[in-house]
Amino acid sequence: MTEDVVFRPVRALAEGVRTRRLSPVMLAETFLDRLERLGPRYNAVVTITRDRALEQARRAEAEIASGRYRGPLHGIPYGAKDLLATSGGIPTTWGAAPFKDRVLDFDATVILKLEAAGGVLCAKLAMVELAGGMGYRQPNASFTGPGVNPWNREAWSGGSSSGSGSAVAAGLVPFAIGSETWGSILSPAGHCGITGLRPTYGRVSRHGAMAICWTLDKLGPLALTADDCGLVLQAIAGRDPADPTTADRTYHYPGPTPAGRRFRFGVLRGITEGCEPEVRDNFTRSLEVLKALGTVEEVTLPDLPYDEITRTILFAEASSAFEDLIEDGGIAALTAPEDRYTPYARDAILAKDYLKALRLRGVMAREADRVLASLDALVAPGRATVAARLGSEFRSAIRGTARDVMGAVGNGAGLPAVAVPNGFGARGLPTSLQFMGRAWEENGVLAAACAYQSVTDWHTRHPEAV
Amino acid sequence: MSEPEAMAAEVETMLALVRERYGHRLDAAQLAAVRTSIEAIVQAARALRAVRLTNADEPAQPFAAYRADP
Repeated sequence: MTEDVVFRPVRALAEGVRTRRLSPVMLAETFLDRLERLGPRYNAVVTITRDRALEQARRAEAEIASGRYRGPLHGIPYGAKDLLATSGGIPTTWGAAPFKDRVLDFDATVILKLEAAGGVLCAKLAMVELAGGMGYRQPNASFTGPGVNPWNREAWSGGSSSGSGSAVAAGLVPFAIGSETWGSILSPAGHCGITGLRPTYGRVSRHGAMAICWTLDKLGPLALTADDCGLVLQAIAGRDPADPTTADRTYHYPGPTPAGRRFRFGVLRGITEGCEPEVRDNFTRSLEVLKALGTVEEVTLPDLPYDEITRTILFAEASSAFEDLIEDGGIAALTAPEDRYTPYARDAILAKDYLKALRLRGVMAREADRVLASLDALVAPGRATVAARLGSEFRSAIRGTARDVMGAVGNGAGLPAVAVPNGFGARGLPTSLQFMGRAWEENGVLAAACAYQSVTDWHTRHPEAV
Repeated sequence: MSEPEAMAAEVETMLALVRERYGHRLDAAQLAAVRTSIEAIVQAARALRAVRLTNADEPAQPFAAYRADP
């Protein structure tokens, strides 16, 4: 029974657990074994949490046997990006050498919520050091080594939630938690050929999560399907007094969209400029699929410096969030050479310019909402390129070497988005399609993504070597 | 002063600040890379400054007055 459970969506595993055809302990042992055997191949894992996992799995098994079923995550293994605090002697490293032995004495709210839902924490997953907040520009930017792509081991897994992407793609965990400040969920999801959901800013508590940018950071799931992302979001969403930015809004995931629902999609004019040819071709084919699910229309946003708005906020807040590490020279111990000096440049950001970015952010949020109000989702390529080679530099909107209007607007305005696989490009690497919606409309983008996945099979394909 | 000259002057001013604060930790190659980063920051700032806003356009930043319960 054991390896048969690998690459099965959470919903399918949950049905097996609920009906007691699958044992949570067997599931935990299966995925712990894969994490131990295959995790190093992808530099996907920081710490395997075997003791905690087996304790949670045994508890889940006993509860379910006694008739107490908590819901679809009960007894399901998962991994968490290593910026989420965990108690019990499990290190929380932030992917950074200066913190590689640091142990915290509490659990992040998301970890507690998943425990309450019956989830089984099997691993703390690798990440780009300090979630990329120092300005890395190549894959080797973590003390655990560069994230390796399960589709092509010469390629990066994406980041900064590198291990969250590769672990799901390689079948090391059924789902994972990642974080996104700008691109850190959608990038590894897209590069690894899995599904990733960036929730609305304020939907999920960040208490116990490392902060890069207080007004940009979001936590969200990476999984095999959009449906699974909805199941996970329901478990982790909600107001948390420990995180005052969380909204007092109840979230309920209704499940996959009934067949026959029609959608209204928008595409920003010129959105494929700068994309690799295969990315553009796959996006064009995706639009043909979407036209069978609804309408697709071209839309425009006013001419504003979107990348500059979000980038200025990100740089200024990251510089403040890591002030001590920068000021005392602690960044010299980071892995990526560029992370050891790039942050010093951010002293050049004037308070007046940061405030101008915050004022323009309000304009950007209103304009984005105006465009999205008549749509179910804006659609675009998830990434402009396939994953970079391990030894190469990559283009980045965060550093200003590429444009990413969807990322700048989506993150700057705190909007939800889901990335799904939509084909393959250069070097056999996955490409992706993103759906972005109005604030608090996760169910809208998930419904669209589920509908897309109901008529395509990209999400059912998995790397051969795993 | 032309726009490129004004930008170059701003970059040099900012670079002088960074050099003053952190120059002892930076070699020539790193300082050159910092200069490139500062150029990008200054370019972004000038793009932000070029957009006109009204007095009513507040920062999209919630602040709530605090009072401990009760």
